[in-house]
Amino acid sequence: MLKISSEEIKLITKYIYEISGIYLDESKKYLLETRLNTIAEEQGCLSYQDFFKKAKADGTKVIERKIIDAISTNETLFFRDTGPFQLLQHKIFPELIDARTSKNSPLKTSLKIWSAASSTGQELYSVAIVLQELLGDLSKYNVKLLGTDISDAAVAQASSGKYNKFEIERGLARDKLTKYFTMSGQTWKVNDQIRSMANFRKINLMLPFTGLGKFDIVLCRNVAIYFTLEDRKKLFNKIADVLEPDGYLIIGSTESLTGICPRFIPKRHLRSIFYQLK
Amino acid sequence: MNTMTILVADDDPVIRKLFEKRISDGGYEVTVARDGVDAARLLDAMAFDVVITDLVMPGEIGGIELLKIAKERSTDIEVIVITAHSSVDTAVDAMKKGAVDYLEKPINFDELFLRLEKISEVKALMKNAGDLREAMNVTESSAAQTIQNLEIINSNLSMQLEKLEEILSNSREDEFSRIEQALQFLESR
Repeated sequence: MLKISSEEIKLITKYIYEISGIYLDESKKYLLETRLNTIAEEQGCLSYQDFFKKAKADGTKVIERKIIDAISTNETLFFRDTGPFQLLQHKIFPELIDARTSKNSPLKTSLKIWSAASSTGQELYSVAIVLQELLGDLSKYNVKLLGTDISDAAVAQASSGKYNKFEIERGLARDKLTKYFTMSGQTWKVNDQIRSMANFRKINLMLPFTGLGKFDIVLCRNVAIYFTLEDRKKLFNKIADVLEPDGYLIIGSTESLTGICPRFIPKRHLRSIFYQLK
Repeated sequence: MNTMTILVADDDPVIRKLFEKRISDGGYEVTVARDGVDAARLLDAMAFDVVITDLVMPGEIGGIELLKIAKERSTDIEVIVITAHSSVDTAVDAMKKGAVDYLEKPINFDELFLRLEKISEVKALMKNAGDLREAMNVTESSAAQTIQNLEIINSNLSMQLEKLEEILSNSREDEFSRIEQALQFLESR
């Protein structure tokens, strides 16, 4: 395996930070070596210095995309932590639908939900399943689910809605599996009715959020942990800007906004916390 | 480390006997079934890590049906199918339906043991990954409760500080009553 020298580690961590916002320090040398080795060898590089130069010079950005795919953590599963999904089902969805349904308006009740680091899509499809179970007939609603991630590979898999046996078994109860997925060969595919509720695209959370509009619910779970404190502050400030005044923010169960964004106040429901604008 | 339990289904008594001896000599726990129906019954009664089945067996349950039954019991059960040399296509079909591998007759036991070792390694890795996940979940949920409690306490304290600041800087009141109100507020918490 190609080794990273102490000079190279500085260059590479800085480069990764610039292209993705993911902050790695020198202690992550081993992680970088194991994750980047294949791409470096594929490019025929003899050192990371060489690899770094090639990546920077690559106008097609193919190497850059591969590095992002390799370095971003795609650990996710259906219904990761049950807390947020119970929160959605028992509190947030009923409250929002109540607030958004106008008796005199002919317009459909509309809901816009954003999974800011959607990885391979499990989180957003879990949200879609909860909505489907709660509302039944979705034709009366205008539901828009957006999933975004920095990794092209993750976005592509999320869009395909296809999962292998190991991915599908994690977190998904048998009844939901058979109800919302169809097996073909060794892969499971999410059914069209759920698939059609969601859209996925690539977004770098470090950049300005343009053209996203406002959301009723934002899920931004277990991604800010990879950013510096300064970048976390900017991120949650931008999220506050795209959240409806009575909207809801859900972050990872071990994350905190203390000292990060004073525009949000935490509220507790059962064993979970959600945030709303002050 | 050969702690895997194996079920062999084959209607030929000579082959059955051979499997039983060789696999148990190899250090695995082995149970044999005389046909698909017998194997399905055993799958109901006991837990197995691996099922080795002939594709063609008399009775209602053939190899492909047994594969389906085993996978329905648990997707963790790995199935190896045994096929005659001429019917590799059927074996490939079985792999599409979830079999982990196939072996051609006559059985090369060295080959079988290599496959079993691979399966055992994958199962050990899966268990290890499962253990790590479990440890992570326990740590995460315990940390989550601590963090969430602190988050709420901190938020309440900040709001109280803001309120105190508001009381103490209220220029419409004299200093004495500001302090009095501040103390009242602190007592009422």
